[in-house]
Amino acid sequence: MDNLGMIFALSGGILAALAAGIGSAIAVGMTGEAAAGVVTDDPSLFGKVLILQLLPGTQGIYGFLIGFITLTQIGVLGGTSDITIYKGLLYFASCMPMAIVGWWSAIRQARVSISSIALVAKRPDQAGKAIIFPAMVETYAILALLVSILCVTGVTGLNI
Amino acid sequence: MAILPMKRIQIFALSKNKKQILDLLQRFGAVQIEDIIQDDSVFIKQDTEEEIQEFERKREIIEKSLEILSAYVSEDNSILKTLQGKEVMSFDTYNKLAARHEEIYQTGLEIIELDKQIADYTAEIHRLQVHIDTLEPWSNMDIPLEFEGTRTTSAIIGTLPGALSSEDVLAKLAELVPEVDALHIEQISINNDQSCIMVLCPKHERAIVEGALRAMGFARPSLSTRGQTPANLKVLLKKEQKDKKQRIQEAKDRIILLSHKRKELQFLVDWLSLQIDKAKAAGLLLESNHTFIAEGYILESEAEALAGCLANKFLTVVDIRDPDPDEETPVLLKNNKFNEPMEGIIRSFSFPGKGEIDPSAFMSFFYYILFGLMLSDAAYGLIMAVGCGICLWKFPNMEKGLRKTLRMFFFCGLSTTFWGALFGSWFGDAVYVISTTFFNKAVSIKPLWFEPINDPMKMLVFSMAIGIAHLYTGLAANLVQCIQTKRYKDIFYDVVFWCLLVSGLVVIALSSETVTSIFNIQFTLPSSAGSIAGIVSVVSAIGIVLTAGRESRNWFKRILKGLYGLYNVTGYLSDILSYSRLLALGLATGVIASVINQMGAMKGGGILSAIVFILVFIIGHSINMGINLLGAYVHTNRLTFVEFFGKFYEGGGKEFMPFSLNTKYYKLEEE
Repeated sequence: MDNLGMIFALSGGILAALAAGIGSAIAVGMTGEAAAGVVTDDPSLFGKVLILQLLPGTQGIYGFLIGFITLTQIGVLGGTSDITIYKGLLYFASCMPMAIVGWWSAIRQARVSISSIALVAKRPDQAGKAIIFPAMVETYAILALLVSILCVTGVTGLNI
Repeated sequence: MAILPMKRIQIFALSKNKKQILDLLQRFGAVQIEDIIQDDSVFIKQDTEEEIQEFERKREIIEKSLEILSAYVSEDNSILKTLQGKEVMSFDTYNKLAARHEEIYQTGLEIIELDKQIADYTAEIHRLQVHIDTLEPWSNMDIPLEFEGTRTTSAIIGTLPGALSSEDVLAKLAELVPEVDALHIEQISINNDQSCIMVLCPKHERAIVEGALRAMGFARPSLSTRGQTPANLKVLLKKEQKDKKQRIQEAKDRIILLSHKRKELQFLVDWLSLQIDKAKAAGLLLESNHTFIAEGYILESEAEALAGCLANKFLTVVDIRDPDPDEETPVLLKNNKFNEPMEGIIRSFSFPGKGEIDPSAFMSFFYYILFGLMLSDAAYGLIMAVGCGICLWKFPNMEKGLRKTLRMFFFCGLSTTFWGALFGSWFGDAVYVISTTFFNKAVSIKPLWFEPINDPMKMLVFSMAIGIAHLYTGLAANLVQCIQTKRYKDIFYDVVFWCLLVSGLVVIALSSETVTSIFNIQFTLPSSAGSIAGIVSVVSAIGIVLTAGRESRNWFKRILKGLYGLYNVTGYLSDILSYSRLLALGLATGVIASVINQMGAMKGGGILSAIVFILVFIIGHSINMGINLLGAYVHTNRLTFVEFFGKFYEGGGKEFMPFSLNTKYYKLEEE
């Protein structure tokens, strides 16, 4: 039972990478299908639709980032690994914003991206605007990332 | 720097000079010809639609022929070629080639025809192959399939379903038609699906035998052998196939031979494009029997030169005047080299509308700063800056748009290097990891300022400070805009009040110990500063409530609208918080870079692990750089479009598109 703190902390980090990663994988899959459809019609649009396909992929990277920071903070990758159960739970909670918001926002962003891909297919000259719409959704993933980073690094300094 | 001033131009000239004048205008490339509303019976517009369609049809054919050419003889389409820009062609060569346009067009047609032939022959070869395949079961037969019999006998040739030997068939027939005893059955071929047979019987019994066979599922062969034995026919068909293949080869050779005409065909595409533009321009003119009028916009700086040029060569009257004050003129931006790259970003948003300024000068500095903060790795920045720098230096003929983009990334790269050095990130912590793993010595490049990962709060506060500065720049741009359009009162209402309110709130926050301790800020402003700021904020808030709804006459409505306007302060709050992405994206680059270094170093020291490290390093950092470049670009645009432009800029202007030599393959130049 001594290691319960470690179990919670590690689960948190893994969930962040897992949920955000799954979300992004689904999202990039959805946008990829739409992008491939456009390229069948006009191969010259490849560069533009590729960017739109990749946009919802960042959540997976953010999740990975939180997972990795958590691993280094709790000493899984070398160092001491003495985590109390309270600290473990705090780490777990810290990872949740990235896990949940990352997963959900990736899929929502994918839907905007798909609409933007359709926009680019019809009006390639408007690609600049089309990129902005999905980026709006990503804001919330970034905010979640921020909270998670601040929490995970903050929890390390707490004395409980 | 500015939106270039436009003039309205009207050209009155003789119809006999129309072609030359249009040529001259196209080469001059400074006039955007406008559609004039036709309002009398003397001057009418010519319908050039048919002519345009004819040229467009031809252009499509030539483009198709170029496509066919590149399918047979590949063309150099590398990035290098794109960087080199369009090939230069003198007007001399242009005129010489233009005289041969019909001949070049015929070449295009020939290529299309050859391609069609190849397709036809290929289809024919397939058809022949099918024929050969269906003959296969009959290939043992030494008489034609149409053979009907001799004087006294009848031959019935065809297939029966299933694998049946001649004995089986004979037995079956004996059962069905026992009265026929003179029967001969020749087995031609047999497989699991069908048996090919020839039945010989006395002529007068043919009907009975055939009826019995049909009852067994007999079918006549669906193919004819044209009186030949199947084996002979097969040889003939094969020969025909070979002949077609030969012809395909000939056509292919001919296309390959024609590929040296590619440049001429490309020229023709350009020539046709120019003719299309000219025909479109001609359709906008108003014409009487002997004269015509062209009307449009021209850059002020070019107006005199064009008027002089026209007056020298033709009998014309050129009228140049200022556009009406409330007229929406087309927009062309001109900036120095530092601000110029922003024009592409502005184009992707929208060009400045009526009464708006060119935002390039206000946005460029912060654009580079924000981009650098988000990518924030000195090594990545150096790679970008050096790469773009070399391209800009080595390829002076590059397309203008591409040049601007590369120059933008060059400045972004410099800024990235700057911030990366401040934050001590060179490929993440590569120096430290390499030195400890392979040389057993801990060397690291110290950050010139601080490492964000060790003090995220400090970085967050810094990001928001940058955000506030960015928003103030937006307000400053609004101020300039108000001055330019002489809306002096709006300076107070829309700029000063907001500036005071936001500054006041920031000072109040900084004078409160709770806030400074949350954000880890070293100093706290004295409370007297806080109270003064409080008064300033309240005054400016009241000012906003009183003025934000100033279009309404009704005071009740006006105050309500004013309160709604004040609610916008939450907009400022979320705008400032939005800059926290600078921290998040900056950290993402650095941390992922460190992760890559750690993964590479996992195998420890030694030669083999050094190779692994190098592989992981190259692949990992390329991916990280690519993804974060995309992220930095997208989110810099977002901060510019939403937070920054939101303060002063709406856009809605139309781009100035002069009637000019708009070509795809060649750049036409005077000798």
